[in-house]
Amino acid sequence: MYLLKIAFRNLFQKQQHSITRIISLAAGLAFGILMLSEVFYYYSFDSFYPEASRVYVVQSNARLSDDNAEMDVWDRTSGAIAPGMKDEVPGVEVATRLNSIGNLIFYTADQKSYKGRCVLADEYVYDVIPRNMLVGNAKEAMLKPSNCIISSKIAASMGDDAVGKVIEFRKYPGVQLTVAGVFEALPENSNYKYDVLISMSSIAQFFDWDGSTNWLGNDRYYSCVKLDAGVNPKDLAPAIRKMQEKHQDIIKLEQDHGGELLKYTLIPIQKVYVSRIQGMVIILSTIALAVLFVSLMNYVLLTFSSLINRAKSSAVYKTCGATANDLKKIIFTESFVFFVLALSAALVILMAVKPLVENLVAHSLEATLNQYVLWPIVGVLIIFVLLSSYFPGRFFANIPVSAAFRNYKQKKNKWKLGLLSFQFIGASFILTLLVVVTLQYHKMINADHGYRSQGVYYCSTNGIDGSKLNMIMNELRKLPEVEKVGMGEEVPVYQQSGNNIYSQDGKKDLFNIADFYSVDENYLSILDIDVTNGRDFSTSGINNNDVFISKKCAELLKIHNHWEDGVIGKEIKVSEHQRSTIKGVFDDFIIGSIVEPDKRPSVFFYQSEEGFIRQKEKYPSMEFKLLVQAKTGMEANIRNKIKQVVDMALPNKDAVVRSLEDEQFNGYQAQLSFRNGMLAGNVVVFLITIIGLIGYTSTETTRRSKELAIRRISGASISDLIVNFILELQYLVLPSLLIGLGLAWFILTKWMESFAQKMPLQWWIFLLCSIGILLMVAIIAMIKYSRIASRNPVESLRYE
Amino acid sequence: MIQLNDIFKYYDNKFQRSYVLKDFCLNINEGEFVSIMGPSGAGKSTLLNIIGMLDVADDGEYFFMDQPAHKLSDKKKVEFHRNYVGFIFQAFHLIDEMTVAENIETPLIYKGVKSKERKAMVADLLDRFNMVAKKDLFPAQLSGGQQQLVGIARAIISKPKLLLADEPTGNLHSDQGKEIMKLLKKLNEEEGITIIQVTHNEEFAQYGKRIIRIEDGMKKSDLPVATLLEQV
Ligand SMILES: Nc1ncnc2c1ncn2[C@@H]1O[C@H](COP(=O)(O)OP(=O)(O)OP(=O)(O)O)[C@@H](O)[C@H]1O
Ligand SMILES: [Mg+2]
Repeated sequence: MYLLKIAFRNLFQKQQHSITRIISLAAGLAFGILMLSEVFYYYSFDSFYPEASRVYVVQSNARLSDDNAEMDVWDRTSGAIAPGMKDEVPGVEVATRLNSIGNLIFYTADQKSYKGRCVLADEYVYDVIPRNMLVGNAKEAMLKPSNCIISSKIAASMGDDAVGKVIEFRKYPGVQLTVAGVFEALPENSNYKYDVLISMSSIAQFFDWDGSTNWLGNDRYYSCVKLDAGVNPKDLAPAIRKMQEKHQDIIKLEQDHGGELLKYTLIPIQKVYVSRIQGMVIILSTIALAVLFVSLMNYVLLTFSSLINRAKSSAVYKTCGATANDLKKIIFTESFVFFVLALSAALVILMAVKPLVENLVAHSLEATLNQYVLWPIVGVLIIFVLLSSYFPGRFFANIPVSAAFRNYKQKKNKWKLGLLSFQFIGASFILTLLVVVTLQYHKMINADHGYRSQGVYYCSTNGIDGSKLNMIMNELRKLPEVEKVGMGEEVPVYQQSGNNIYSQDGKKDLFNIADFYSVDENYLSILDIDVTNGRDFSTSGINNNDVFISKKCAELLKIHNHWEDGVIGKEIKVSEHQRSTIKGVFDDFIIGSIVEPDKRPSVFFYQSEEGFIRQKEKYPSMEFKLLVQAKTGMEANIRNKIKQVVDMALPNKDAVVRSLEDEQFNGYQAQLSFRNGMLAGNVVVFLITIIGLIGYTSTETTRRSKELAIRRISGASISDLIVNFILELQYLVLPSLLIGLGLAWFILTKWMESFAQKMPLQWWIFLLCSIGILLMVAIIAMIKYSRIASRNPVESLRYE
Repeated sequence: MIQLNDIFKYYDNKFQRSYVLKDFCLNINEGEFVSIMGPSGAGKSTLLNIIGMLDVADDGEYFFMDQPAHKLSDKKKVEFHRNYVGFIFQAFHLIDEMTVAENIETPLIYKGVKSKERKAMVADLLDRFNMVAKKDLFPAQLSGGQQQLVGIARAIISKPKLLLADEPTGNLHSDQGKEIMKLLKKLNEEEGITIIQVTHNEEFAQYGKRIIRIEDGMKKSDLPVATLLEQV
């Protein structure tokens, strides 16, 4: 208590740099805590499941084409794998599988609409990844067809007595489900989220074809297993293989394709999320630690400077009988007070930037307030306090008493330079990261994706009455802003589902393709996808189900089928489709985002606008997109106008019109957040470094004011002195720069591994960053030093 | 009480070794009041620091209360500081961020005296020094003389056997100086505290019972005040 009181009083003493110390500490802490909690948050994913350490997700490892040596790994399997593992792999206690049908809009009988992720699940789902049931019994509900359970969140919005209500999906008119229970909504840190669980036995109502007991293909099932306690998942490999041999005839498949083709591995459920964002986790944690480290070094530097002014009081304490430990306690208490103040300031900063941050990280900050995040953070903070008090405490306790009484001044400034150099390392490290990450980001969003996105808008036909579709098309075409209107099942900004092209004899599949399904005669020209070979959709002689293939697809077909005379006019068989005739070839474009591009060849099937409309009339649940191309320069209000037109066919007037350009841009949201995070980190580190530099220069100038004065009296000009000082500093900065750049290069190459389109790490980036830092140092030093150096030398001497 | 045998203290410069104390011997008994005089740079403060165990001699032996101080551990020295030695400085060296009462109380804290007892002792002393009204002021709010009073109060609160004063009147004008000297004399006579003071002032030196003159790190003379007065 006593120490605390003294520490507080000390805070307000002059020459304590209290404010700067707190600001730089607070900025560093705020940013460091934010970043670290983000990282720990990633690691906390799915930890809330009871006995989560025994729960694993089944990953498929597969070679997607014969000439591809590497196996692709993803965490979905065919429907029979999970139950199969439970039956045939000893060590698996229970297994479940979930099959998402998408983020769907559904209605209750009173016509209120809701939206939620809907997932089919079997009756074992809550044996493996349980949620607390607020009402009802999950197992019973998941056994009965046409039953579902809903999250507490949705139940709450339905009002009391959600159980027993009947829901109907907009996308699947006529399909009705009874709400049989309410589960506690999933927290934000769950990797596989859902709001509605539908019994697996209802599958036929959503899919034409039931793949829930399929051993091969249709690998869209999220399969989770819970292992017996103490079982090592690696030990299960032989049993899993045996299961594959029995049910998949894997040995024959491997013979046909020459080598290992498909296997299953288990990944701990807690690691699924982190494993997807490994590169980002590396960068985030290094940045967080770098910022914390730099702010720690800066704090210690400023503290040392202030302690020099208090050297005498260290000696006085000793003459009063204080031991070195007593002195360390004084400093520790002070550091602690500083730390608590800085931490409070940091929390205030965090509260202030909360909306901004939540926008960036796309989850609420409250979500990170779980034990898996808080405890590690507390641990880091404790280490931080200890370090921030240990070195100053030792320094303070070790000032020799007799020297302290004879006007103690630090003779050497090596340690100060050392601390400062850490800050320069941090600054150059993070600046380089920022520049490269920004360049990489711009490279990605500005990259030519191979199709037009500007001025293209689209809207789903979900819920639209087929009989009104023709009217809508006409109305849209009447709008003065509209250049062209078309139809298609998919748009290129999203990853596409796959299908296989079979060999000519139909006996084996040749390769997997991204299937865009049907598009009408206007689609390709709206997206400005050129048909380079063969005919255009708009020309006559094209029939429904004719296919257009990408160049890559054409090349592969030529090789596999030995088609020396080209592909136009040839017939192919694609799974899920009838035989179709190739009518044209187009240039490959980027499917999804450049970050994780879908490198498969792609295909479009032709269906006339008329055909689309007839289909929609026949199958009201059929979903495709209406594409609208705006006339150049007339995009201003077009979205609203499109919405008004489409709303005419929607009873709830809830059409959503999207801009293709925005959606494409959204594909890079993660990269943008990342870039912004980096920018914030940079600002913080620079702020801290500048504070440190100013602190250093001012203590340096007071320390050397006599020397400066004498040099001036002996004829040195002010500019000589300043240049001299700046050069001295730059000798320190240069090696730090090299270390910082080296670190940045190392981390960046690691990070870049995950990108298909890499920003080359050119030397000039590093050079420019270095020059930037050197300039910053020079300017700050110049401003600070010129003030002192131009002071009247006589006055300086009198100061002594 | 204090016995210095052949004490050497030097600093190594780049090229040469400069001696601050050379072959210095000194004996001081309990209850003495010694004044040390000499020109600036003679080594007076250094000597006092060695006696006070704030500094160590480079060579020679030093016995403090029959204990070999030159061999004592830091821990032991702290014990001596807590129980036997008080310091008074020319520049007062009060702790700025503490009030008068807190400054005086500090040595008691490190001595491990209980809070209640401390408060009582501080109150006593404040009363004796007529500073009760000033007890909650900070050093910056006091005059030089008052600050030195606080300095003395802090030095004697833990009832030391030895009081070391390095130019205690150096920063004070002569009236204030006299007050301080009277106080020291009283402490010596009434409480039997051994006092060693460094001073440049002949008159103040006379308050002691013995005057030691130092020049260039060597003892020039060591005479009782009584003899000096006779010489005059
Ligand atoms: N840390 C040190 N390094 C080098 N020389 C030192 C150091 N400390 C003291 N000295 C030298 O030792 C000598 C004696 O110093 P000391 O402070 O004992 O003198 P003093 O007699 O107290 O003088 P004053 O009357 O001015 O206080 C001086 O010449 C001083 O320069
Ligand atoms: Mg002196």
